Amino acid sequence: MRDLSSCSVAEIRAGIATGEFSAREVAQAAFDAIAQREPQVHAFLEQTPELAFQAADAVDAARAAGGVLGPLAGVPMAFKDNMNLQGTHTTCASRMLESYVSPYTATCVAKSLEAGALPLGKLNMDEFAFGSSTETSVFGPTHNPWDLTRVPGGSSGGSAAAVAAGMATVTLGSDTGGSIRQPASFCGVVGMKPSYGVVSRFGVVAFGSSLDQVGPLGKTVADVAATLDVIAGIDPRDCTSQNLSAGPDGKPAAFSQALEQDVAGMRIGVVPAFIKAKGVEPEVVAALDGALAKLEGLGAQLVEIELPHVAAAMAAYYVIGPCEAFSNLSCFDSIRYGYRHEGARDMGEQYERSRAHGFGMETARRIMLGSYLLSSGVYDAYYYPAQQVRTLIIQDYAQAFAQVDALVTLVSPRAAFRFGEISDPTAMHLSDMFTVSTNIAGNGALSLPVGLGADSGLPVGVQIIGPQFRDGEILRVAAALERCYDFNRLAPLARGGEW
Amino acid sequence: MKDLLSVLRDWEAVIGLEVHTELTTLNSKMFCSCPVEFGAAPNTHVCPVCLGLPGALPVPNKAAIESIVLAGLATNCDIEKQTMFYRKNYFYPDMSRNLQVTQGPVAFCMRGHLDVEVSGIAAKERQFYEGATLLDEQTGAYVAHINITRIHMEEDAGKLIHVGGTDGRISGASYSLVDYNRIGTPLIELVTEPDLRTPEEARLFLQKLRQTYLTLGISDCSMEEGSLRCDGNVSLRPRGVKEFGTKTELKNMNSFKNLHDGLAYEICRQAEVLESGGTVRQETRHWEPAEKRTFSMRVKETADDYRYFPDPDLAPFDLSDEFIQQVRARLPELPDAKKRRFIDAFGLAPDVAGSLAGDVAMAAFFDAAMSERPVLLAKPVANLLLNEVAAYLNASDVSLAEVRLTPLGLSELAGLLLEEYISSKQAKQVLTLMAESGEAPLQIIEKHGMKQVSDTGAIDALVAEILAANPDKVVEYQGGKTGLIGFFVGQVMQATKGQGNPKLINELLHKHLDG
Repeated sequence: MRDLSSCSVAEIRAGIATGEFSAREVAQAAFDAIAQREPQVHAFLEQTPELAFQAADAVDAARAAGGVLGPLAGVPMAFKDNMNLQGTHTTCASRMLESYVSPYTATCVAKSLEAGALPLGKLNMDEFAFGSSTETSVFGPTHNPWDLTRVPGGSSGGSAAAVAAGMATVTLGSDTGGSIRQPASFCGVVGMKPSYGVVSRFGVVAFGSSLDQVGPLGKTVADVAATLDVIAGIDPRDCTSQNLSAGPDGKPAAFSQALEQDVAGMRIGVVPAFIKAKGVEPEVVAALDGALAKLEGLGAQLVEIELPHVAAAMAAYYVIGPCEAFSNLSCFDSIRYGYRHEGARDMGEQYERSRAHGFGMETARRIMLGSYLLSSGVYDAYYYPAQQVRTLIIQDYAQAFAQVDALVTLVSPRAAFRFGEISDPTAMHLSDMFTVSTNIAGNGALSLPVGLGADSGLPVGVQIIGPQFRDGEILRVAAALERCYDFNRLAPLARGGEW
Repeated sequence: MKDLLSVLRDWEAVIGLEVHTELTTLNSKMFCSCPVEFGAAPNTHVCPVCLGLPGALPVPNKAAIESIVLAGLATNCDIEKQTMFYRKNYFYPDMSRNLQVTQGPVAFCMRGHLDVEVSGIAAKERQFYEGATLLDEQTGAYVAHINITRIHMEEDAGKLIHVGGTDGRISGASYSLVDYNRIGTPLIELVTEPDLRTPEEARLFLQKLRQTYLTLGISDCSMEEGSLRCDGNVSLRPRGVKEFGTKTELKNMNSFKNLHDGLAYEICRQAEVLESGGTVRQETRHWEPAEKRTFSMRVKETADDYRYFPDPDLAPFDLSDEFIQQVRARLPELPDAKKRRFIDAFGLAPDVAGSLAGDVAMAAFFDAAMSERPVLLAKPVANLLLNEVAAYLNASDVSLAEVRLTPLGLSELAGLLLEEYISSKQAKQVLTLMAESGEAPLQIIEKHGMKQVSDTGAIDALVAEILAANPDKVVEYQGGKTGLIGFFVGQVMQATKGQGNPKLINELLHKHLDG
């Protein structure tokens, strides 16, 4: 049997369709890979073999009956642990929800399962998605499959590491300030944050409701696009979800169609201010320069773009994000579910003790920050100006996309760092300096691996940002650029073995 | 304590109301598809959304938005097209997410008003007419113009049940249970300007608002079950002074009478405090109808900080002109217009027209009964409805919809009454039978042999018979004791077994007695 770890979505689906292998064999291979690599990587918080084999049998039965196979039929898939899947835990990597079992399924998960995906389990993350390294998970960090002494990035560290380690073909992550793109870059995989509203947030535990967006991670742009095609679309249960570019048949146009178009004649924006930013490693800039040169070689035209207000994005993000998080996390009070500190004398004390012990440091920090920023008198000085900044950044991007079709820039100032290397919270927050502005503005963006850093020898990615709701443009540029590189997205520890 | 009237001679009462109304006629809650229903088994009308389970998201109920726009249009409000929901953050177990979705500075409905007409003895409580129009110098009847600040939309909380204490209160309870059936029920809150000056104005305002909401069909407005709840803010200032005094907030006024009596008591209490040189504390007070007094619930020393901010899960609204137009087209005839029409089209007296227009079911029944019927039936139909039908419904504790009386039957009965085919006393009996059996009045009259005796010859003979049997009374009558006419009418009526035409009996008696 062939090495299924390196197979794409299309190859797995075709293999099952032609009878080369069964979905059950794929599921078995996935759990064999997990058994072999998970002890080193620790990407999973829960494995769900029963559900996966059930789904596999359903795919095999459908094939045997001559039925139509779903677009993700037999594809081993796993979900960030802030996504609800009925009957499984949704812990958000927090003590607060350690024993919480969800009674319902998130829309993005349900759509994946309807498309025939095999649910392998739930993936590690920073607690409640607060972090850039997966080190704040109360269940222990995930290790970067490329170098086990390094972080996988975060907060969707488990989602990126599971793909890089060949334990899942595609995964879903969520991105509030860079939480899909930065770990994708650190782990050498493709990760996409679609435009806000492209994917339903229903059933995904909220961090910052106006910033959060669900997106896919995979080894290739095609895998990511195929998954996005499945999970995108308007959801009556999320009134911020969008009905996009309906084709003549009333169905949304498939994002994967964009992959076949080339980039000749496209105008690609370059943001010099990003490259000159403090603390950016030369190998990261070199990788970006290389990518830009390749795009030029493909016939794209490079245009320098100014985003004058984007420098304030970080400040706005650390106002809006904590304010929304403070309110969103109020429901965790130990009364109806979740961690309860026993022995409190009254309800107030139960609230305080349960929350003090149930939440980790970084979570507590964001809650306290949000609580302060929203308090009367302070609100006008921070929240309101932050929203004004938001409007300016939206305008910056709108003006930029009047001149160019896509922006190509950095994802992260550096490659994956070592555990404990960044202990100052503010320095950690700077990991998101190139990613937060698209969450503020709502645009889609994708992280594409373009090779190993000249100095670190670790994967480095570039970020492709598109106009709002024109996420196909991002995929078009990503696919064209991807064809220029011969880069194995599987981490060395996952190579060569039989799945 | 001084009485209200004398207090209001020296002090001006400044009253504002906050009226919460549950939109009970909607099929589903504000942000999920759970049903809105009173009295279901605890925690049976719940889902991940209203339980606030991790990851669930609210989606606004379009019908609820239509309802609040209806309420705004009916109370002369400006409809704000661009508005949004805010989150009010506070920890309490009756809110599953520890936040309540409500509205910010701009509500769906802003700057409205309702006029209330005050007459009778209570009109004397107001002795100056700023913000009001005097209708009648003699009686003091006037119209008070009450401005409405806003009507905003919010979600209701769950219900806490405290077990082990006394009277279900939290103090002394050993534990508390939570029922989330009610959580997320769409609620509209109307806030008035401090434009009310007497408890009667407050009572009439709430009555009119209730009639309006009932006419719109947006709520069952049950004060008993709590779907209509009213709090009052009241302060006093010496007559002629512009600055407001310190206000107290009054709660637990769950009937029109309690609203009136609670405010009246509180006005008198504050006057006593101020006149004895004391100061009114800013506090929330509870009206206790059984003891006829208010008592302090809690003193507000610091303002709670609810950390309001726009709800990021709910996109800002931008209501289209088309949407507002569609809602406007659904506006039914409102009580004031209905009263006007009853006066103009049917010649009803203003008080009769007002009572009828104020009761949605009665007014609809009246219109149905009068449909394609002669206008001269209007008065007897209205009187039958407001007196006999209302008394029957009251005595049997049923609603108009529950009885078998038909509008057609009622107008037929009114016709028979008008033709003096039956007496009003008989009409009452017939009506009861109609309500119970659903039979037509003529059918009932025939079955029970109740036809009114209007045979002049027969009654004339009976009159002569009765007068002959009571010669002493005839002498007394003719000597000036004319009140005895009632005695004679009664005797003749008895002789006809109650079926004599009273008008005819009267006529014939007078003919015989007065010569």
